[in-house]
Amino acid sequence: MNVELILNGRAATLDVRTDEMLLEALRREGLRSVRETCAIGVCGACTVLLDGEPVSGCLTLAATVAGREVTTVEGLDEADPVLRAFNEAHAFQCGWCTPGFVLTVKAMRPGDDVRAALGGNLCRCGCYVKIEQAVRACAS
Amino acid sequence: MDPRVTADLRYSCEVERPGMLHAAFVRSPHPHARVVAVDTSAVPGDAVVMVPADVAHLGRYGCQVKDQRVLADVARHVGDVVAAVAAPTREAARSAARLVDVAYEQLPAVLDPLDAVARGAPLIHPQAAASARDAVSIDVRPIAGTNVCHRFRIRHGDVARGFADADVVVEEVFRTAAAAHAPMEPHAAVAEWRDGRLVLWSGTQTPFNTRADLAGLFGLPEQDIRVIAPPMGGSFGAKTFVRLEALVACLARRAGRPVKAVLDRGEEFVTLNRHPAVVRVRIGARSGGTLVAKEVDCWADTGAYADCGPGVATKMGYAGVGPYRIPHVRVDSLAVYTNLPPGGAFRGYGATQSVWASERTMDLLAGELGISPLELRRRNVLRDGDTFATGEVMRDVHFEECLQAAADAVGYEADPRGKGLCVLLKGMQTPSRAEIAVERTPVGYVVRSASCEMGQDVRQSIRLMAAQMLGCEPGQVEVPDPDTDRSPFDTRTTSSRSTYMMGRALAEAVRDMGDGERGHGEVRNEGGLDPDTGQGVASTHWHQGAAAAHVSLDLETGRTTVEHLHASVYAGRVVNRPGAELQNEGSMLMGLGTALFEGIEFADGQVTNANLSDYNVPAAGDVPRLTHDLVERDGADVHGLGETALPPVPPAIGNALASLGAHVTELPITPERVLEAL
Repeated sequence: MNVELILNGRAATLDVRTDEMLLEALRREGLRSVRETCAIGVCGACTVLLDGEPVSGCLTLAATVAGREVTTVEGLDEADPVLRAFNEAHAFQCGWCTPGFVLTVKAMRPGDDVRAALGGNLCRCGCYVKIEQAVRACAS
Repeated sequence: MDPRVTADLRYSCEVERPGMLHAAFVRSPHPHARVVAVDTSAVPGDAVVMVPADVAHLGRYGCQVKDQRVLADVARHVGDVVAAVAAPTREAARSAARLVDVAYEQLPAVLDPLDAVARGAPLIHPQAAASARDAVSIDVRPIAGTNVCHRFRIRHGDVARGFADADVVVEEVFRTAAAAHAPMEPHAAVAEWRDGRLVLWSGTQTPFNTRADLAGLFGLPEQDIRVIAPPMGGSFGAKTFVRLEALVACLARRAGRPVKAVLDRGEEFVTLNRHPAVVRVRIGARSGGTLVAKEVDCWADTGAYADCGPGVATKMGYAGVGPYRIPHVRVDSLAVYTNLPPGGAFRGYGATQSVWASERTMDLLAGELGISPLELRRRNVLRDGDTFATGEVMRDVHFEECLQAAADAVGYEADPRGKGLCVLLKGMQTPSRAEIAVERTPVGYVVRSASCEMGQDVRQSIRLMAAQMLGCEPGQVEVPDPDTDRSPFDTRTTSSRSTYMMGRALAEAVRDMGDGERGHGEVRNEGGLDPDTGQGVASTHWHQGAAAAHVSLDLETGRTTVEHLHASVYAGRVVNRPGAELQNEGSMLMGLGTALFEGIEFADGQVTNANLSDYNVPAAGDVPRLTHDLVERDGADVHGLGETALPPVPPAIGNALASLGAHVTELPITPERVLEAL
């Protein structure tokens, strides 16, 4: 089936199976920042923004994003303050989970509990101290 | 901007080759079973299928003991691969794998290392033999007719006399659970045969070891195998030695096309784990607090295959002695086969398990002596010029300084309640060899080495060191992916050796280049231990660290809250400061997981928590107040930092809990275990 959506700011059509997850459909489009990792929605490495809210691509049926706006890290430009904050804080090691964290932070609002907001993203390299520094830099 | 932030870094699992097929594996549901028959008649015609008989002629591989077949004719753990398929898509391959019908004859299984060494235990590898083409160059000591694939011993002084001189003796047995490396990127490999040569793209820390082991398996000269190692999305020891490479190589040869394999999350938990271990420590001291004798017995459960279990048991053995002057020491450390998934390299490499036992015992001894645990350690730590149990004279050691800094960070001397300490020594791979090549280009330099990138930012460390030596900007130094056809030899990217070894080799290479176009540098560290006496050179260079924890305990629920965790690690000289800090922080958090909640659970050999929901790794909300020091000295050698801060964390937390009356002997320290201990 065809799904029409706004993908990274542009009108796009995805040809998807009815049982297909958004993660698979986006990777087929060449969006490599969305990464299959736990496959059960707990690690956040396949996080995308759906109408501005972070969701797990591995748990979101591709068909359900019709008419909605999907953003991945490929849709951010290098001047993006969250990308810059992560880069400057060295808030990554292997980098696998970084795009998911970046999108989660983009969706945070002033006053959010930082640790609670980051609870859906796992970093096995253990970069949380510097990720929190990056979040604080974004907030200020 | 760093390509990891913008998602422009391409990982091993993203390698694609024209016309490639995707692999899926048929895995044993039994911990120990003979494959009686494999019916592949239902597999669709466009899939390639491979059964044990198809690869039996290849014989066995293994980095320290050749005990593993490409496909198991006898499955030795739940998840052992008994058949494999390749098909045009990953989904088609998985569907095809489900149509392979395997008939098994179940065999008696043994699931605990102490049961496995008991008389009459079923033998898991009746014909196990030491590897003739030993890729890791350790002297393996299997005990014939048993499940012991390696026994490492230290004999230093006379322990009977030592204990006779002791005023106080304490003894305790400790356990550590199996743990999952859980790299975010799973294992991945692609194989392609070109005119009789095998080309592999593999997320691996060990391209040259993998090449050597596969050359033996396929009967090829090593030059006919090429291993390219793209960056990994984490590894922590998981992606070492031959994992998927032999399987995809055999499938690709059968298919006449490239074949790719990427594991799913559940498969990760039956591929390679941290050794579960039992460690018994007995230690004696004079009433004034001088250590006189120590015995350490380790049973490292290496699971179905030895992998590098012999090396892990060796390091577990000498790390269990601790960084102390002890005149009489006996160590017996066994790598033991069981029917659990294989144990292998894991950040900390055996030290985690034995340091947990050794450093918890130090606090028990301090309690019996009525001396502060800090003071007991201070009186006995190794100082420059002291002799370790291996006979090595220690140089450039800073254990006391690291220990004191950790103690001070949590205010240990002002009020030790709820606080715990740990100090450790950890060896670096010895012997080993590192080569590096530098080449001048119109815009800068290319530096080729086989140091593999897994998040530790080894390429940045090489760039920074090269820029300093060559007088250029780091951005002018290109560091390509390791490639055994193009990168000069390196033993492997393990044991926190790359910055130290490659840095010294690079200095040689830059000198060799002079004003010319190219230069080559090589550094060797010589040594090794006699496995029967533990005498020799364990490490040419010691990793040294200490940790301190401050905890609070909910007496109603048994829940431990870590208020503050501090690690002090000897760095010598820091090359890449943010990278060094990240290594310390990451090690401490992995240590926190090991201490409090990480453990693979088994029921009859089956993993019951093989996913990232039931197997918990630390999340942002688990991070306590986390501080650390990188201890430096002008002109000192660079010291690796990749794992030193992990092993001291669980004992520091365990000792902090013991100060509150909860003496827990088993990791992880769950609330249930705390309540039992209170």
